Amino acid sequence: MRRFTSALFLLGLGVLIAAIYQKMGFHASGSNVGQAINAVAADQLGAANFVTSVVLGYRGLDTLMELTILFTAATVVALVLGRRKPSAKRDPDAGFVLQAGADLFFPLLLIVGLYIILHGHLTPGGGFQGGVILAAAFFVPVLARPGTSIDHGWARLVEGLAGASFIFIGLLAMLEGKSFLTPPPGQGELGALFSAGTLPLLYIAVGLKVGAELAGLLAHLSETEAAE
Amino acid sequence: MNNLLLLIALPLITAFLLPILDRVSTMLARLAGPVVLFITSAIGFWLWMQLGGQTVAIQLGGFLPPLGITFYVDQLSLLFAVAINVGTLLLWPDDGEDRLRRSILSLILAASGSGLALSGDLFNIYVFYELVAVVSYGLVASKSIPGAYAATIRYLIISAFGAVLVLTGIALVYQATGTLNLAQLAQLAPDKLNNLQGLAAFVLMLIGFGVKAELFPVNTWVPEVYATAPTRVSGLLAGVVSKLALIVIVRLLVLVFHQPEAQTVMLVLGILGVVTGELAAWRARDFNRMLAYSSIGQLGIMFIAFAIPGQAGVFAGLAVALHHLIVKPALFLLAERWGGSLEKLAGAARTSPLGAALFIVLALSLIGVPPFPGFWAKLLVLVHLGEQAQSLYYLGGLVILAGAALEANYLFRVASSFYYPDNKQELPPAHRRRDITIASVLTAGLVASVFVLSPLAERLDGIATQASDVPRYIQTVNPAALPEAQP
Amino acid sequence: MDTSLVMYIAAGGLLLIGSAGIVMSSHLVRIIFGIALLEAGANLLLLLASFREGATAPIIVDGHVPAIMADPVPQALVLTAIVIGVGILALALSLAIRVQRAYGTLDMREIRDRMAQEIADTASIDRPISSHAPLPVDVTSVPSPSEGKG
Repeated sequence: MRRFTSALFLLGLGVLIAAIYQKMGFHASGSNVGQAINAVAADQLGAANFVTSVVLGYRGLDTLMELTILFTAATVVALVLGRRKPSAKRDPDAGFVLQAGADLFFPLLLIVGLYIILHGHLTPGGGFQGGVILAAAFFVPVLARPGTSIDHGWARLVEGLAGASFIFIGLLAMLEGKSFLTPPPGQGELGALFSAGTLPLLYIAVGLKVGAELAGLLAHLSETEAAE
Repeated sequence: MNNLLLLIALPLITAFLLPILDRVSTMLARLAGPVVLFITSAIGFWLWMQLGGQTVAIQLGGFLPPLGITFYVDQLSLLFAVAINVGTLLLWPDDGEDRLRRSILSLILAASGSGLALSGDLFNIYVFYELVAVVSYGLVASKSIPGAYAATIRYLIISAFGAVLVLTGIALVYQATGTLNLAQLAQLAPDKLNNLQGLAAFVLMLIGFGVKAELFPVNTWVPEVYATAPTRVSGLLAGVVSKLALIVIVRLLVLVFHQPEAQTVMLVLGILGVVTGELAAWRARDFNRMLAYSSIGQLGIMFIAFAIPGQAGVFAGLAVALHHLIVKPALFLLAERWGGSLEKLAGAARTSPLGAALFIVLALSLIGVPPFPGFWAKLLVLVHLGEQAQSLYYLGGLVILAGAALEANYLFRVASSFYYPDNKQELPPAHRRRDITIASVLTAGLVASVFVLSPLAERLDGIATQASDVPRYIQTVNPAALPEAQP
Repeated sequence: MDTSLVMYIAAGGLLLIGSAGIVMSSHLVRIIFGIALLEAGANLLLLLASFREGATAPIIVDGHVPAIMADPVPQALVLTAIVIGVGILALALSLAIRVQRAYGTLDMREIRDRMAQEIADTASIDRPISSHAPLPVDVTSVPSPSEGKG
């Protein structure tokens, strides 16, 4: 009975999707917000990468909330998984190839991650993408040598401070009577590394926070002892 | 009005810094949460008094709409922003294990709830909604019993499915209109969303947001979660968070999706919700489960009410919603010590006479017995249902009346069992001072409102009129027109 | 036009496969995979709204502004949605770990039954065979009060 209703539900869903596709034009609607943003983003925010100006400028609050979701997820994972029993068995170290590779990759991943974060306002990339690479940089050695793990204390410290600094930068604008997360005037030369006002700073905060969070999250998941 | 953003920024920055603060001084970390929430509630309340009859639009980052995100402040959104802050403060988690993490989660709940109430941008609403969801997963699972984890994962599955539905709906809306700003969507809707694509988007978002609003059929998580979560959390979820999700749906319905089919869908799902909820509550043999199903039934009534077109629907629905907002958390506070089999509650009046009295008052109001506010709220709904032309609305009215009869039956079954003079059974424990105090305050407020019913109703009417005033919304936000289409 | 048609079909397909995974499977990890696929499908659908014929990335390279630029807004939205999805997946997996440890199984039907049993035990009521079976509400077993119910 359950299979039948499930199949029926899926059939209905398929019909709905097909009906919508039939009515939708397969071209995006001509006039939209993105177009308006493309026209003015360079002047208003000074970042060469318009997606960054949307992520950190026009939709800065969304980004802050997204960071909070990651933070909350990490907190809940810590809440749910609890502490590891010290007597639990550890996984054995990985083979030579993975260990050597992890040692070689660590500095490379760090550099690539930092580069992507710092150039987020100039080229595709940014805090999230770079942050994930940073997290990988710190997590791959843990995969290679499960005995060592990252220091959760440091991770939480970086996480908390980075998140607080994002909000702090946003609050600074409120001191001048402007709205939350208003970018400061004076944006420097378009296309230079030091341009776009506070946007690179915000992305650095994002990158550090995401990196610390994901590394901590992954480490927590991998530290969970197997069921007896 | 820019200070309104403090309702989001302050709890959030406190939550981020709380682990560090805890290392420095546990006392400070313990106090920081309630103090911050008290401040935000005060700010919210003060701004509500200042607002008067105006409506204000706050542009985040100073970017003009529709480029940036807009926060729309009217009496309705501010009321619910204050409600979530006050609610979280009143139902602050107890000291216990993982106190720090649960405090962090509660702070984030207050921040995200405020954002959800105030936001005027479709995707921003989705992000706040997801944040509320993630926080609720954590709070529900915080009682580390296996049942809690199972209930949470089942809740997560349904909720994640709902989130994907909302995202798909947003994709459809953006495809059709090119904007995410609610005011601009209200402007463009008659041309661009009055078709199958618009209706499909609404249904997707209705079911997606409806997970939190305990809409039929995505409410299967409700009884399990309310049985295994800490009772404070259940009270907060059932009382306040569900109303926030409902208000989001109402905003979408009022501003953007004007098709009569949209209202029909809500009406049908509401009727099904009342029927299934009240029947299941009638059969429940467990206090928490009974409250959970009763919640589903009451939210069904709200969906039926909001399905009534025009200002009348918003007025009636708001009346039921605000009434439930006070009654349900109070009932869940009573359930803290009374949770469990209904048979075990016999003779409870002896150990907790105040609790029994409170339960009777709350039950009377919930059923809809005059002179309590619940009666007036339900009467309002029934009167406006009767004024409609479509016969489906009459069915809604009948269902509400039948539901009230069932409510009377099962609630009084429980209430009368409190006074059974049975000496053999073990009596249920008395309530804790803190729970019974808050429950008394809420019930006292309920009773007091009976005496100020007329001005209260006028105020509510004003709020509803303002909320359903679409041209005013558009004018307040005043989005710039989008540029002409590129070839 | 053809490329975007294929992408739309892909997005719809992912949504369907993900839904099938959630609705029809009883293994928790498969359900979580279904959620991941669903999110991928929804993100793809949202991203397709930024498509323009002959457009390039909305980035100014060496001071040269492209003539036709893609829409940056859906790209930013999907960025957010992907991160949200990652958070939820991590959460789901951690819950699955705890559930497996508590119940020793990842079969959703068994988990549901054990959870219902546990809830009933805590409430100390006799559990009926199925949670959908009608409950015999037995008011006669409790002595009725001397005066009738108002």
